[in-house]
Amino acid sequence: MAMQGIMGLLRNAMPAASAKHTVLGVFSDAESAATAGDELKSAGIPDTDYDFLTDSPYPEGSLGERDEPHRLYLYPFIGALLGLSSGIMITAMTQVAYPLVTGGKPVLSLPPMAIVCYEGTMLGAILFTVIGIVFESRLPKFDLGLYDNRITQGFLGLRVKAEPEQSREVVQIMNAAGAVDVKTDQ
Amino acid sequence: MASEAQAHPGQGHDHDAHGVDSSGHDSHEHGHFGPEMWVIPERSGLVSGVVERQQAGSGLLRWVFIVGGLLTILGIVGFVLKLVTVGFSDHRDWGFYVAAFAFVFTLSASAPLAACAFRFTKSHWRRPLTRIAEVFSLVSIVNILLFIPALIALPEIGVMTESGEEMVRRSIWFQELSNPSGWLMASMIGLVFCSLSILWLSAMPDMAQSRSLVTGFRASLYARLAGGWYGTKRQWQIQKGGLAILGGLYFMLVVFVQFLIVSDFAMAMIPGWKDSILPPFYTVISFQGGLAAILLTAYALRRWGGYRDYMGQAPFWAASKVLLGLTLLHTYHLFAFFITYWYGRLEVEQAILNYLMFKSYIGIFWAQLFFTFFIPFPILVSNHARREGWGAPLAAVFILIGLLLFHIRIFAAAFAAAPADLHGLYYLPSDAFAFPALLLPPPGATFPDLWDIFMILGGVGIVLFLLRVGLMILPPLCLWEMKEGSMYQRVDTLIRGRYLVLAKPE
Repeated sequence: MAMQGIMGLLRNAMPAASAKHTVLGVFSDAESAATAGDELKSAGIPDTDYDFLTDSPYPEGSLGERDEPHRLYLYPFIGALLGLSSGIMITAMTQVAYPLVTGGKPVLSLPPMAIVCYEGTMLGAILFTVIGIVFESRLPKFDLGLYDNRITQGFLGLRVKAEPEQSREVVQIMNAAGAVDVKTDQ
Repeated sequence: MASEAQAHPGQGHDHDAHGVDSSGHDSHEHGHFGPEMWVIPERSGLVSGVVERQQAGSGLLRWVFIVGGLLTILGIVGFVLKLVTVGFSDHRDWGFYVAAFAFVFTLSASAPLAACAFRFTKSHWRRPLTRIAEVFSLVSIVNILLFIPALIALPEIGVMTESGEEMVRRSIWFQELSNPSGWLMASMIGLVFCSLSILWLSAMPDMAQSRSLVTGFRASLYARLAGGWYGTKRQWQIQKGGLAILGGLYFMLVVFVQFLIVSDFAMAMIPGWKDSILPPFYTVISFQGGLAAILLTAYALRRWGGYRDYMGQAPFWAASKVLLGLTLLHTYHLFAFFITYWYGRLEVEQAILNYLMFKSYIGIFWAQLFFTFFIPFPILVSNHARREGWGAPLAAVFILIGLLLFHIRIFAAAFAAAPADLHGLYYLPSDAFAFPALLLPPPGATFPDLWDIFMILGGVGIVLFLLRVGLMILPPLCLWEMKEGSMYQRVDTLIRGRYLVLAKPE
């Protein structure tokens, strides 16, 4: 999983090696963008080849976009387990190595160990969550690619990776759906 | 005015710039609420408007910067002179410093939690407040620096008697003979790292959207930190999930670190003080202080900072009820602490009550009670004060003063209670019933010297200074959340009144 994340990171950091063209349609409203997405699907373009770019999160499925499964929730669990294990090891090994009897309590007392273990669990979970966010969101991406600043003003972008022979059709679909502007990387 | 106006490209406008809707109703008929209750900024001009507003600055914010900076310098001077004059040999000299540190920690660690908590509960009124809450994460960086002298001043856990016997002070840590600096510092660094991660994740879309509009240092910073954000569904999903997970972890960690701070730097420093109510009490009072700081900052930005077109009265109206709840909880915990000890009536319990409440620190105790409860409570109870938007910030001023007094009463008093020798702090093994005599009669109150006063003022100053710096660097409003809010909210007519219509997609 982590290897997949690293590969994804590298893949996104590098300029695209494929021969696909990128087309960006800019739409002034969500309905037109969603219509363009539907038309692209009808034209046989896989939904993994296009992305909606928005300036704020839209409700799930409102643009007819694909589901985006991710494994972010696994990262904190892994981090927590590692942190907890480290906490148990540090406290147990320290107390066994330097056995001091305090107030008649057993050398390996769980309540004081719990404090260090909890701290280790939290720190591990937080660290791994941040790592997970970086991997799973495919950041950092050094090459921004096609973008339009109007997207920051409430417009929507529809970015398509299309085979060279399909680019013209994609542009036509976007224009027909009501794009206010269509850009290509060619 | 932007209130009651929402522009969304392609969806048309319901109202013109003067607040008259297409059906001819004059929006001066606002029903039960005034026209400034709900302000829903126009989405299209939000980024450029906020960036322009931020670059323009305001007189008040400049003064906050200058005063905060001067107080910070004063605090540094006080710290250096204190260090030169007394050193770290006796922890009792550093009680006021620890109080100042704990005050800064309390505010800066609790405030970001408000952003996480209200995001969890999907409270739409939170949107103008979230970035302000998150910017306190930048203030929390200084906690790491301030924590170092506090850790040095903390007495060792173990002492060696003349006969060679090792005796261990009452503490929550397992058998360490030095003070638990490593674990305490690790928890503080983890907390700061978590809150900064939340700030980064939340601000990333805003930095990406603003990067073409800013220049100089901010342009470079935004380009680096926005990391190529362009707003795909995957990025939004990971951001949402990341904020939820980090928010949950932050809550779990902040409560834990507050427990460590109040246990190690207050409870363990007063012989015989065993209190299960103090950690949750400290957590509640820090939540109260954190929310108060957010509301006061938001009010200053709205009233004097030029953000009236982006922030209505609704966030204050709604948050004031939460603040009222926290104020009542604070007082309940205070009473619970008192009644448990008063009812128990052991010699040590009476000694602690006399020391912290009814003899040594009676003046500061009652002052704190007035500032954290008797004054803010009637303000927050008033419907009028809450609805007009000024009630919660006014109550917040008193709460923050009370919070500072609380820290002085608890931490400075705790550090002044006993010397760190076998007859001072409570070391084991010992006769468990012999030590309470130490506080009988309770020692007198310790008063700050000039350097202590400088350090306390420096604590206040550094919060002001770093908060202002944070609000200069980052957009003071969470732009993507505001835009999301404008998609889900509008003000519409129901019979004769104007009311908020809210879409709830989740």
